[in-house]
Amino acid sequence: MKLGLGKIRDALKGSPEQEKEEEEKQKPGQKPGQKPEMGKEEEIGNRDADQEEINAEERGEEERGQEGQGEGISMEKPESHIRTARRFQPKEGKTGLIFFPAFDWAISPTHPEREERLLYTRDQIFEEGLMDLPQIAEYKPRLAEFKDIARVHFCVPDIEAQATVPHLISAGSSLVLADALMKGEVKNAFSLTRPPGHHAMRVAHGNRGFCNINNEAILVEYLRRKYGIRKIAIIDTDVHHGDGTQEIFYHDPDVLFISFHQDGRTIFPGTGFMNELGGPKALGRTINIPLPPATPDEGILHILDKLVLPILEDFKPELILNSAGQDNHYTDPLANMRFSAQGYALLNEKLAPDIAVLEGGYAIETALPYVNTGIILAMAGLDYSHVREPDYSPGMFVQAKRDRQVLDEIIRTQLENWKNRDFLVEEAVSDLGDFYRRKKNIFYDTDMIQESQEESVRMCPDCLGYMTIDSQAQHGHSGAKIFAVSVPIYACEKCQKEAIEEYRDRVQDIKYDYVYLQDKKADVYKSYNTRTRQETVL
Amino acid sequence: MLIGIDVGGTTTDAVLIENGKVRSTAKVPTMPRNLLESLISALDAVSEGVSPGQLERVVFSTTVITNLIAEGKTDPVALLLVPGPGLNPSSYNFPDSFILKGAVDYRGREIQPLDEKEVRETAALIEEQGFSRAAVISKFGQRNPAHEKRVKEILEEAVPGLKIELGHRTAGRLNFPRRIATTMLATAAKDHYREFVEEIRKALSERKIEAPVYILKADGGTLPLEKSAEVPVETIFSGPAASTMGTLALTPEGESSVVLDIGGTTTDLALILSGEPLVASKGAKLDRFLTHVRAFAVRSIPVGGDSAVRVSGNGKGKGEKEISVGPDRKGPAFCLGGPEPTPTDALRVLGTSSIGDLTLAKKAIAGIAAELGKTETETAEMIVDKAAEMIATAVREMFLEWEQEPAYRVWEVLQEKKEDLRNVVGIGGGARGLTSKVAEKLDANPVIPEHAEVGNAIGAAVARPTLTLNLHVDTERKEYSVAEDGDVVKLHTTGIKNINKMRSEEAEALAAELLRKRAEHFGIFEYAGEAETTRSEVFNMIRGWATVGRLFDVSMQIPAGLIPEWKREEQA
Repeated sequence: MKLGLGKIRDALKGSPEQEKEEEEKQKPGQKPGQKPEMGKEEEIGNRDADQEEINAEERGEEERGQEGQGEGISMEKPESHIRTARRFQPKEGKTGLIFFPAFDWAISPTHPEREERLLYTRDQIFEEGLMDLPQIAEYKPRLAEFKDIARVHFCVPDIEAQATVPHLISAGSSLVLADALMKGEVKNAFSLTRPPGHHAMRVAHGNRGFCNINNEAILVEYLRRKYGIRKIAIIDTDVHHGDGTQEIFYHDPDVLFISFHQDGRTIFPGTGFMNELGGPKALGRTINIPLPPATPDEGILHILDKLVLPILEDFKPELILNSAGQDNHYTDPLANMRFSAQGYALLNEKLAPDIAVLEGGYAIETALPYVNTGIILAMAGLDYSHVREPDYSPGMFVQAKRDRQVLDEIIRTQLENWKNRDFLVEEAVSDLGDFYRRKKNIFYDTDMIQESQEESVRMCPDCLGYMTIDSQAQHGHSGAKIFAVSVPIYACEKCQKEAIEEYRDRVQDIKYDYVYLQDKKADVYKSYNTRTRQETVL
Repeated sequence: MLIGIDVGGTTTDAVLIENGKVRSTAKVPTMPRNLLESLISALDAVSEGVSPGQLERVVFSTTVITNLIAEGKTDPVALLLVPGPGLNPSSYNFPDSFILKGAVDYRGREIQPLDEKEVRETAALIEEQGFSRAAVISKFGQRNPAHEKRVKEILEEAVPGLKIELGHRTAGRLNFPRRIATTMLATAAKDHYREFVEEIRKALSERKIEAPVYILKADGGTLPLEKSAEVPVETIFSGPAASTMGTLALTPEGESSVVLDIGGTTTDLALILSGEPLVASKGAKLDRFLTHVRAFAVRSIPVGGDSAVRVSGNGKGKGEKEISVGPDRKGPAFCLGGPEPTPTDALRVLGTSSIGDLTLAKKAIAGIAAELGKTETETAEMIVDKAAEMIATAVREMFLEWEQEPAYRVWEVLQEKKEDLRNVVGIGGGARGLTSKVAEKLDANPVIPEHAEVGNAIGAAVARPTLTLNLHVDTERKEYSVAEDGDVVKLHTTGIKNINKMRSEEAEALAAELLRKRAEHFGIFEYAGEAETTRSEVFNMIRGWATVGRLFDVSMQIPAGLIPEWKREEQA
């Protein structure tokens, strides 16, 4: 579908300041604790009607946008790629698919991330003949470029050390699909690839939770840089908290991150609680949904209908990404949930992600062949009613009554947080001085690394502010100390200038092994080795 | 002496080869209603004056199956499908299907038993509806054919005389819908094909020809005539395979070439990459059905020597007018008495060909030239350029498609897929002038080999047998299966001592042994030594951090190639 430029243009020139003004207009009279409109049951329940109204509204906007096309906007191929919120997702068209099982790569021979992981999935989807269906277009993976990685990560000591070829292919696959989507070759896409990425954080000293680099985050930065997409929602449907993705976008109000997962008190990585709401300027844009163990389809779909979808309706992202783990399945060996292939298919049908990216899921025989078939069919708009696990019967898992109350409490709390997000931001920012600082300890379970970090964000009145990270890794007696500076893509010039000065100062400081500058505004990425005094520029 | 005969859409070409050299050639018109007669008259023409005892090998490439299917002359087949979980079977678009309960999974474990009562009821229905042929195909039947076999037993009991084929015996590669189509077409064409084989046999024995007779397959390999009746659908698309093998025979070893078979209405394209004809990654499409039939990656585009040339102006002025070539053919070229101007007329005007009457050709081009406001020469050049550009574009797309083939392994992604295209080879004798123009556009050498006009027949004559073998081993279930011929066999019958600790080398040795047996079965044992292993993978099955078994996938093939009797170096 060809869309007008109006919406995107507004998004592009809209500095955070303008956006804030807009947000402020909505606020008068509203106080925290006031019953949010959003929470009204009847409105949420009546989603279909809502959606139609929004469709009409947005169509109007589209027309207006087309009228304004003459105004100069410097973006690559403006006409071909413009897409906005998923409400415009065409019903017609193909589902792009990259299946990259990496049959010749494993973390170690018996590790869950091994050659065998997608073998039975291969058997099932090939035997089904899914690749022959006219609704499906299969693409070839490519390697992500180092610059794609550098837009997200500070890899220690360098990108080669953290992103090996399989990682680059897995990340590159979602970029191939992003191009296909933005060129209008496909209506949506599924990157069914390994290795996964959602536990990888901004600083990468090693492998955490089977992840080295964060595929979704790399995809988001690529979409922003290449296609000028601004508002993106990531829904993390893996059973484990998507702590890496959360951390990377914690201070970014343009990226809505919603993760539902098994309660962090009972599973790796032990985070993802409701009080993790985002950095001071992005409060409420991180929504965590810790689910009680043994939550079945019913509970997850309840959360989806009553919490995730209403927030998405309100946020109006230009694109929705599904960080699509498959370990909520009732047979997964590393988790304790009760989700089924039918549940996964329905979830993807309702969520209608523009791009889904495979994360975890280690029930390689009992779940993955069926779950993946279900997701592919659902995304392609095909009948998935015959997809089911050999031992599955409808109604075999019932939501415990007590857990239902827990879910309703989560829904209430998080809708409240969402509704009050602007107030929360205002309050948080007013309490802060020039900088926001926090200290973190990060454990890399796969590589047994302890990292301690101090993160600092400039509380700039004109933009999101640049960020610095002071990080020390500890792995036995070794471990690098680094300093990293990050400039947001829509940063103000003053922040960019200050950030570059920070980098220049720190490269003189011999207490650091490596110093990094990630200037997303200029799309320039530097790293400096203080021992060899060599700078690498991407 | 070797004989090769290719039954094409318009002509049937034949060649006689003696001591590795072409001794005589023949061309007779193809009679679509009697392919056998076309074939035999070409045989008689080319072997005139040769005593039958001197013939060492006769190879046919025929369109008999393609024609049968295209004309809807195949027999109706009742399809009994056991799909199990997955895609909704009602989305399949096969005629005469009966869906049965029952399911096996990817490891061959039964997950839902057959409902024998349902099978019997279906059998009754099949009898009632008067089917004389049936095919039984179950999803993952190649990993465990028990359901297919049981359904067959019940059918045999309930419907005496019913001819039944099983999916796992026909095409064991992964892809259930393609297996359904392949088995259905094989069942439908089998008896007709057998009759055809009988008639050829008869005609040959009347001529006292006792030399071994082969049929060319879509993958450029030959198969003894009798054995080909077991796998009739593999003979589809042997036409493009014949011209590709002909190009291989007529160009230097190891080079990359585009095979250009320019006909009247269409141009067939194929690729030879570093001396190896490119095989399509998936099976051929036959009529509207995607099959498992291994075939060369070929493409047919609607541009040929007789394509109608028209002016398609947009009315905005002279300079804006354009010409179009094809897609239809209204008859022969104008210079040969046809109704409309064609690329053949343009080539005649430019002097790059001497086919047809020059005055008529000029007249044809003059009409177009007047509309365009250009000279005749300019116009003829435009026409040739347009046709060549369409062909060159299709070639570029084929290369792109090949480069963009999906990859499932790290090394496959890293593999640099770039070919230094060397030759554009015109085969089949059509529109020589076009070949050089296409070569120019692709920055390659135009090659029109000697005997190009019967290159396809040469290809048939000198093609060697091909064979594939895909072995799947599951040591936890202690069994193996071969995709090409079906049955699941217990591993203890192989003599492998420690099944639990089976190694890749043992799996490869087993594959090689099975390939030899299969070659023997098909009467092509002498080529078993040419077999190569194209893939050998092992997957450790880890359950709870312990290895419980291994899965091996070994693929072997005797690739398309030339028989040693052909002396390529001298030809080239």
